[in-house]
Amino acid sequence: MANLETFSYDNKIVRNFAYASVIFGVIGMLVGILAALQLVFPAMNLGLAETTYGRIRPLHTNAVIFAFVGNGIFTGVYYSLQRLLKTRMFSDLLSNLHFWGWQLIILSAAITLPLGLTSSHEYAELIWPIDLAIAVVWIIFGINMFGTILKRREQHLYVAIWFYIATWITVTVLHVFNNIQIPVSLGHGVYAFAGVQDALIQWWYGHNAVAFFLTTPYLGLMYYFMPKAANRPVYSYKLSIIHFWALIFIYIWAGPHHLLYTSLPDWAQSLGTVFSIMLIAPSWGGMLNGLLTLRGVWDKVRTDPILKFFVVAVTAYGMATLEGPLLSVKSLNAITHYTDWTVGHVHIGALGWNGMLTFGMLYWLIPRIYGTKLYSVKLANTHFWIGTMGILFYAIPLYWAGWTQSLMWKQFTPDGFLQYGNFLETVTQILPMYMIRAIGGTIYFSGVIVMIYNLVKTVKSGTLIANQEASAPALVKYEAHNNEYWHKWIERKPIQMLIVSAVLVLIGGLVEIIPMMMIDNNVPKIASVKPYTPLELEGRDLYIREGCVGCHSQMVRPFRSETERYGEYSKSGEFIYDRPFLWGSKRTGPDLHRVGAKYPDSWHYNHMMDPTSMAPGSIMPPYPWLHKNDLNTGYTASKIKVLQSLGTPYPDGFADKAVDDLKAQAKKITESLSKDKITQENLENKEIVALIAYLQRLGTDIKVKAPSK
Amino acid sequence: MAKYILEGAGNINWMAIFALITFLTIFILSAIMAFRKDNPVIKRMENLPLDDDA
Repeated sequence: MANLETFSYDNKIVRNFAYASVIFGVIGMLVGILAALQLVFPAMNLGLAETTYGRIRPLHTNAVIFAFVGNGIFTGVYYSLQRLLKTRMFSDLLSNLHFWGWQLIILSAAITLPLGLTSSHEYAELIWPIDLAIAVVWIIFGINMFGTILKRREQHLYVAIWFYIATWITVTVLHVFNNIQIPVSLGHGVYAFAGVQDALIQWWYGHNAVAFFLTTPYLGLMYYFMPKAANRPVYSYKLSIIHFWALIFIYIWAGPHHLLYTSLPDWAQSLGTVFSIMLIAPSWGGMLNGLLTLRGVWDKVRTDPILKFFVVAVTAYGMATLEGPLLSVKSLNAITHYTDWTVGHVHIGALGWNGMLTFGMLYWLIPRIYGTKLYSVKLANTHFWIGTMGILFYAIPLYWAGWTQSLMWKQFTPDGFLQYGNFLETVTQILPMYMIRAIGGTIYFSGVIVMIYNLVKTVKSGTLIANQEASAPALVKYEAHNNEYWHKWIERKPIQMLIVSAVLVLIGGLVEIIPMMMIDNNVPKIASVKPYTPLELEGRDLYIREGCVGCHSQMVRPFRSETERYGEYSKSGEFIYDRPFLWGSKRTGPDLHRVGAKYPDSWHYNHMMDPTSMAPGSIMPPYPWLHKNDLNTGYTASKIKVLQSLGTPYPDGFADKAVDDLKAQAKKITESLSKDKITQENLENKEIVALIAYLQRLGTDIKVKAPSK
Repeated sequence: MAKYILEGAGNINWMAIFALITFLTIFILSAIMAFRKDNPVIKRMENLPLDDDA
């Protein structure tokens, strides 16, 4: 036996991340409940731009994903990594920099998103300076993690650590490629990619944010904490090897399933579908491996709330990873996409898989780092049942709503007309479901309050063991011998693991993305499609600021039910100047790609002032600040210059004339409004005029214009 | 250069097929090898979470 070395585990950093996870979980869920209620009672935006749905929806998603789940990941990683490697973290300083850096990023997100500072890419909405900060903090985390691995006292890397390594490298790659922008100002950048290419990059990122932020690190936590809680090893370690390699290789390919029936080339859509179906195998391998870990101790599940949480979490993982591939089948996707079904689906993952696993982990971990027992097992059981009921009350109404609304969108009368030609009819039909969803979310949230009470009482009954003493033999240099287990060379060597993981995840990304970037045929040009005018460009940025993309798609799919309702289906060549693309992923309101020239300017003016004046019963909130705020043209010229540098064919010297051009177009719109008896002091300088210009332009490039008389 | 190569290929479906075959090969080989051997190392690996101090 080698010399026994004594050292201590850093529990303080684990405690800090755990607290942050709970605190931001509460905030993220509260914002979610507010957003859910606003869909039924639009007045609950409090009349403020900062608390209106389009701005708080990304706040909710970012808070839950990166603050609640993110801090949950770091809690589990910092706890398990030290113990699996039998060493303290590499550097306390880096641990603290990671912790405070991450919380500052969350705080800056909580300030910028309500202010409308967004880059619009879903789940990557933060502006470029924050993106840079994320990169720095993520690298600090990486150095700390690999430093810890390198100074370990345990030769072998347990499978949970493989998942952490794959998470780190893949998130690094995704974050960099999805946020390549040219800064125009501190709060605004222009994406390097446009239209369909931007869409592919975004959903390659978006899908894999789910895969490598919400799934793989949590699988690592499952492989560590489930055996701990059940007090028995994982069902099959061999299966976990297959699970790991197959999952990280396949997951990266499935991004295009978010873009089925869009203008993305068919070959990319098909790849997305095929690999999504293949994903069922490793996902269910992992789920079964988790559940079968409880073989022989199922009786404990009746009494142990931690195991209950884990069982529901892993089952939700299995359900969501079966549902996801099914939704990637084109015929089913045609029904569910853009509906609330997708929202229900992601919440099975977020509330079930991530939420319940986090809660189980906290109930297991907090008493241990405080050297005490859980205050009340009964309350934890109560939390479990409240949480489970909350998930059901959340998801089932949304499945119902999604299916109902989609069928209404597609319903024709015997004479061949749309039965529900007014989109609003399909919204008011599902409002009761929205209400039940809000109640479901509130039930789930109340369970979290019960947990906080229980954990606070637990913490008060113990004392934090900030530095937990431990001892282990020093690492002995490993000598390979013949006939050793084949996989050992990777299990012992983190750098090999990093490189092999990176190569595997990059294959899928490269095969899908490089051809899209390089072969012009994938995006056929349309001669009549012209760049946006400066006023339209500013209007587009307002559309982005208000988060309109959260409720309105700009992608008419090639279905008769959609071309009848909206007009000609969308072509990829129409989006070549769209930086970022704004196809959206959910239709709470109608698609807007062909809304240009559909209504007079005055309709938009009145509609934005009070949507119910034009569409009685509408659940869209009013946007009166657009009528009050002066349009900021300070960066118009810079935006044009950046777009020119990216290949947008504005004439030479156009940037210097951009503001004049903008004012001339604004004057025309003001005159058109004046004809409809809409007058307002200084109207041509107001933001609403720019938004009207943009909306009236949408989808008009390929409309056949009537010959002028 | 890369653009020329990709365009010259005419049809880039081979890339997808290549990736699929690569994956299936690695997957099948690793599955066969993982399940063929039974080794004390596996026992030790799977018990790692249970061996720590907490």
